[in-house]
Amino acid sequence: MEMDREALKSELKVHLVKYLNILDRKPEEIGDDMPLFGDSGLGLDSIDSLELIVMLEREYGLKINNPADGRKVLATINAMVDYIIENKK
Amino acid sequence: MLVSDTEVYISGFGCITPIGNNGDENLQSLRLGQCGIKKPVLFESKYASLYLFGEVSLSNSELCSLLGFEGVKGLTRTDLLAFKAFGDAIQDAGLRPEDISSYDTAFVSASTVGGMCLTDQLYRDSNLQSDNGEFLNSYSCWAHATRIAGHYRIRGLVDAINTACSSSANAIMHGARLIKTGRAKRAIVGGVDALSKYTVNGFNSLQILSQGYCKPFDADRDGLNLGEGACYLVLESRESLGDRKPLAVVAGYGNANDAYHTSSLSDNAIGILRAMQDALVSAGIDPEHIGYVNAHGTGTDNNDKVESEGFRRFFEKIPPFSSTKSYTGHTLGAAGAIEAVYSLFALMYGELYPNLNFSKPEGSDGLVPVLETGKADLRYVMSNSYGFSGNCTSLIFKRL
Amino acid sequence: MYILDSIAISPQNTWEGYPDTLRIIEGNKYFASEPSYEGLIPASQLRRMGKALRMGIACGVQLLKRNAEVDGIIIGTSEGGLEGCISFLNQIVDYDEGTLTPTNFVQSTPNAVAGHLALVFGNSGYNITHVSGGLSFENALIDAKMLFEEGKAESLLVGNVEEISDYNYNIGLAAGRYKLAETRSDQLLGSVTPGSVTGEGSAMFVFSKQGGSGDVRVLDVAGLTNVGESELHEYICSFLGKNGLEADKVDALVAGFSGDAGSDYYYSNLHSKLFPSSNLYSFKNAVGEYPTVTGYALKMTVDLLKGVNLPEGQLLKQGRKEVKRVLIYNYFRGIQHSLMLVVRN
Repeated sequence: MEMDREALKSELKVHLVKYLNILDRKPEEIGDDMPLFGDSGLGLDSIDSLELIVMLEREYGLKINNPADGRKVLATINAMVDYIIENKK
Repeated sequence: MLVSDTEVYISGFGCITPIGNNGDENLQSLRLGQCGIKKPVLFESKYASLYLFGEVSLSNSELCSLLGFEGVKGLTRTDLLAFKAFGDAIQDAGLRPEDISSYDTAFVSASTVGGMCLTDQLYRDSNLQSDNGEFLNSYSCWAHATRIAGHYRIRGLVDAINTACSSSANAIMHGARLIKTGRAKRAIVGGVDALSKYTVNGFNSLQILSQGYCKPFDADRDGLNLGEGACYLVLESRESLGDRKPLAVVAGYGNANDAYHTSSLSDNAIGILRAMQDALVSAGIDPEHIGYVNAHGTGTDNNDKVESEGFRRFFEKIPPFSSTKSYTGHTLGAAGAIEAVYSLFALMYGELYPNLNFSKPEGSDGLVPVLETGKADLRYVMSNSYGFSGNCTSLIFKRL
Repeated sequence: MYILDSIAISPQNTWEGYPDTLRIIEGNKYFASEPSYEGLIPASQLRRMGKALRMGIACGVQLLKRNAEVDGIIIGTSEGGLEGCISFLNQIVDYDEGTLTPTNFVQSTPNAVAGHLALVFGNSGYNITHVSGGLSFENALIDAKMLFEEGKAESLLVGNVEEISDYNYNIGLAAGRYKLAETRSDQLLGSVTPGSVTGEGSAMFVFSKQGGSGDVRVLDVAGLTNVGESELHEYICSFLGKNGLEADKVDALVAGFSGDAGSDYYYSNLHSKLFPSSNLYSFKNAVGEYPTVTGYALKMTVDLLKGVNLPEGQLLKQGRKEVKRVLIYNYFRGIQHSLMLVVRN
């Protein structure tokens, strides 16, 4: 299945803001390569990573069983898009 | 009102856990190294077939019969477990009805889930989808305490504490302080929690449940097992005891906050260290006087690592320690009280109970807990409990 | 123990003082008048907070910012962040125990307020949350008093928080706790129907061990369970006597009239039998009924003793000109009785 990369990026940003209830940034204000975790960038933490793992399962049917893998997949919007395109065949 | 020098005595206790329906059965299981964690028989949840749990062997109807509560409405499993342990405790201590109803008697309980163990019924009631009003007053963490207070006609101060996994340790501490400051002559203290969909789903969402048996302090540990149970201790002043023989003394206690993260402890073990220090100071002893520590030891990566670091920094020579959660699983709101009683067993009988499921220390400086039952001359034992939101509590008991 | 500072979020606009007259609230849910949280709670934290959490934390943060470091944090809350709790529960049922998001679960633990305040201020001191229904706040006060007596604290942050949750309201309604017909707050007292209304809010206090002349202090706190009226009256007399007071020395009774015809007589009887010449105040017609509403009662009592003008509509009977000693009495769900003795030096 061909997935429009740009559409997927926009969609992910909307999901991220919704699932994590981000109050101070609009979806379009999240950079594609902005580090999502840690103090620079969006500043998400370990509980957010668990929330995003649930998001990937509920919205895209993709299960990440190992939380350690999660950090790599969820590092940036682009990383998530890569993961989804690669696994949602 | 000044704080008196009165000792706080323990005159009795009652407990029902995955390793026994009363005190004696629990003691036997500890001595025999008999683990109570297994595939649950009574607990209904999708996770009942996926994880192992510490489940009390009695069903709700068996508990009802035992307690003479057949036909009584609105009792949750939390209530039933609490009633069983409470009844055993006051009988063990020899309290009379007039003692229990005295304004000088306080009741301090603890529960993290309360009646929410009835997850599906609560869903229906809160979404106005039920016409069965039986449990409407049973859901709160304090519902069981009110129920017990009503049944036994407790008129004095009734309290309930919820600091997650350290709740009933804090209940014990609070009851002891009510006696020390002269606000009560006796305090029945402890806690309860029943297995519930709410908790198993919550802990599963945090990914801290073990795929098999929990292995506290082991290098290959992978999380905790959930358990259930109830336990109450009766604390009394010297004056209230009269001629009755006490079992031990609550010698010291300390509570502190790690102030680091909602669901994990800091690498520097700040809260852990401060709680232990405060407990020692209040007991008027030094670290080398502690003969055994009943650890919090949940079997999660974070807890056991930080707790070990706490031991290393606090004790010049680390005393024997073990986690009895390897027998019962993590009984949440009941854990502090159940593990206090197991600490008392160690103290009263001069015994050490092993940490089950341990085979390999973590790293080159990994700590090794007690691995076999054995004798020990114990004067003071410590019991530690740590809860979400950085709550750290240490209790110290003294042999008479 | 002495009150150094206090603050409250309530269904009246009380964040920075009191209105001259009570806002009339229509309906049976008295929602809190929340302040702006800017400068108090960063967006990155606020996003995870349900109402109970953000009200409690805002009050706590505001007090801790304008006072020196405290030695401990003690909170009384009957249900904690209940909305988050039930949201998680709904997830469990709606997704049939599938993969769930943990935030609701973690933030629903009642000790989240106390824990968060400790975290934000790096406070590693004593930290406990009492959840004993209508005595949660009183037990928190007793806990604080004990810490001062034990010499373990010079100052403490103590408070209450409670939120209205639709789910909890549904349960309460089915259990007969609330009025079936819609009411107005200015018609609540003296109602002839059973049940009350629901409210929400948070009141926080910084207490200190030392105080001076003119300072207000909580002299004593007590909680009783399962006693009848005559036992209650007897107990109150000995409670006052223990503190060197007789009933006629109490200048004002702050009473928890809730509009419930089944239990409000406890308050009027207490006033007429034991305190006939004392002033009589109410508070639930201002802020509704909820388990830890006595936190608000203490706040208004402290302010009353300091000479602050309370809104019109709370003084039910005037017996005295000067108020130096106040007894707060509350009766909760027909089982729990709470007493707080508050005086000005």
